[in-house]
Amino acid sequence: MALAMRVDDLCKSYASTRAVEGVSFDVERGEIFALLGPNGAGKTTTIEILEGFLLRDRGTVEVLGVDPGDATRLRWLRERIGVVLQELAVESFFTVRQVLERNAGFYPHPRPIDEVIELVGLTDKSDAKVKKLSGGQQRRLDIGLGIVGNPELLFLDEPTTGLDPAARRTTWDLIRLLSAQGTTVLMSSHYMDEVEALAHRVAVLSRGRIAAQGSTASLGGRDQGEATIRFALPQGVAVADLPVTPSRVDGEVVELTTSDDLSVLHQLAHWALERDVTLHGLSVTRETLEDIYLALTRGDSADSAPEAR
Amino acid sequence: MSTVTDETTTRPRWLHDLRLVAHQVKYEQLAFWLNRVGAIFTVGFSVVFLVMLGASAGNQHVASLGNIRLVQYYVPGFISYGVMSAGFNTLAITLVVRRETGLLKRLRLSPLPTWVLIASIFISTTIVAFVQVLLMLVIGRLGYHVALPSSWIAVIVAVVVGIVSFAAMGVAISSVIPNQETAGPVTSIVFFVLLFLAGLWFPLPAGSGLAKFSDYLPVRHLMIAMDKSFQIPRGASPWAWHDLLVVALWGAGATLVSLRRFRWAPRRS
Repeated sequence: MALAMRVDDLCKSYASTRAVEGVSFDVERGEIFALLGPNGAGKTTTIEILEGFLLRDRGTVEVLGVDPGDATRLRWLRERIGVVLQELAVESFFTVRQVLERNAGFYPHPRPIDEVIELVGLTDKSDAKVKKLSGGQQRRLDIGLGIVGNPELLFLDEPTTGLDPAARRTTWDLIRLLSAQGTTVLMSSHYMDEVEALAHRVAVLSRGRIAAQGSTASLGGRDQGEATIRFALPQGVAVADLPVTPSRVDGEVVELTTSDDLSVLHQLAHWALERDVTLHGLSVTRETLEDIYLALTRGDSADSAPEAR
Repeated sequence: MSTVTDETTTRPRWLHDLRLVAHQVKYEQLAFWLNRVGAIFTVGFSVVFLVMLGASAGNQHVASLGNIRLVQYYVPGFISYGVMSAGFNTLAITLVVRRETGLLKRLRLSPLPTWVLIASIFISTTIVAFVQVLLMLVIGRLGYHVALPSSWIAVIVAVVVGIVSFAAMGVAISSVIPNQETAGPVTSIVFFVLLFLAGLWFPLPAGSGLAKFSDYLPVRHLMIAMDKSFQIPRGASPWAWHDLLVVALWGAGATLVSLRRFRWAPRRS
């Protein structure tokens, strides 16, 4: 599959800090790739280098086949990428249509304005002033500005930071829709659920390095490995009567960690049906993305802990 | 010889870019007039001052300027004010706000070439200045029977040199202002103190201590150049090359500062 981005051994330092130290990853065309990490991990610096906003110190970078550090190719590149920044960067005194028309004029093949307005769900707000829009609507307009140039590749830097839950959901739907239409997306986030809901693949950044990367479902081998089975101890049953040996009993809750969850469940189910007892609250869980993430970024400063919602 | 062409059409790229300048100027103008802050500062202030000062003290005569009426002094004075306000004050605040809110970064990341953005800002600022010049002339002429400039070309040259130089100073000061909260107070205090010292409200007698001090700064030189295009003091040549040169040198210095200090995004915390 063709690559939209190739990053190899990327390094960038500021005056006193090493922001990015040897980051490497590839992004395939059409996929949603997420950079996950606490604040200060190097997500924004990496994205800014890929956008051609910052120059790298070292390493190889290719975006849509060109080097974003090459000033002679930058305009070509910027006609093919869309950018949504962390800040809501839209003039408040313009109407929705005015801002979109202004930015559409910068691109050789813009999307029709009405199509953009419909895509971001602002049809009945198209002639409203930006300052009259809610936070979620402003964010959607912001994404509209990111896609008005009909980009092959869209950069989303923490697209839902500061949005309420309903606005986050509609923003996710919009990102999924764009991806389904073939737009490649590179996003950064410090929300687990967002990455889990959207990204095909993820790289966890910690202190300027990639701590792990892989498909979102299998990061850190969490789709394999041990599972935890939990249930409430049925009334009138002693722990010793159970057909299996629990790893932990916490009051009424029995917990069992195993790498062979299927046979343990089989034994349990057989036993329970025979005796006609109910296993209240029966659940099987594996390590969540959050568990993996916390294990990988442990030791990063306390104030940069991720927000899990 | 092959020329670089737009991929969509056979139009040469430079023609496409010129259209882009026109496109961006249109939205710079919209932004200026819709935002109102700049319009009130630049156009509103000068109209109110000229009307009020003209009505209250306009008929006093100024001996040091060849016994002309004070209101005759105020018309070129507030034209200069408008040029400096549009170029320096309004532009500096606009740039700081755009930088700190991410608007400049977003423009930088769009395919809009930087030179198109800069050219559009300068052209738009010049349009604002000429609107204000026209207003001052109309109010001065119809309201107070002020004599029109002796050389229109001299007025236009002074306005253009003033706009380009003070816009460069506006860009320079915006690059040293740390955040949005301080942008308004800092530029306004600097601006109004300079205007006062240069004698916008009270003409400075030539050779006075204040006049000598103001001679090192650009504000008074632009005012003198504008005055001369109106033949103030009476019988003076409409051209003030020396004064325009000083203004242009300040503009050149400011350009050097801007080239070194200009930032597209807020300073990283």
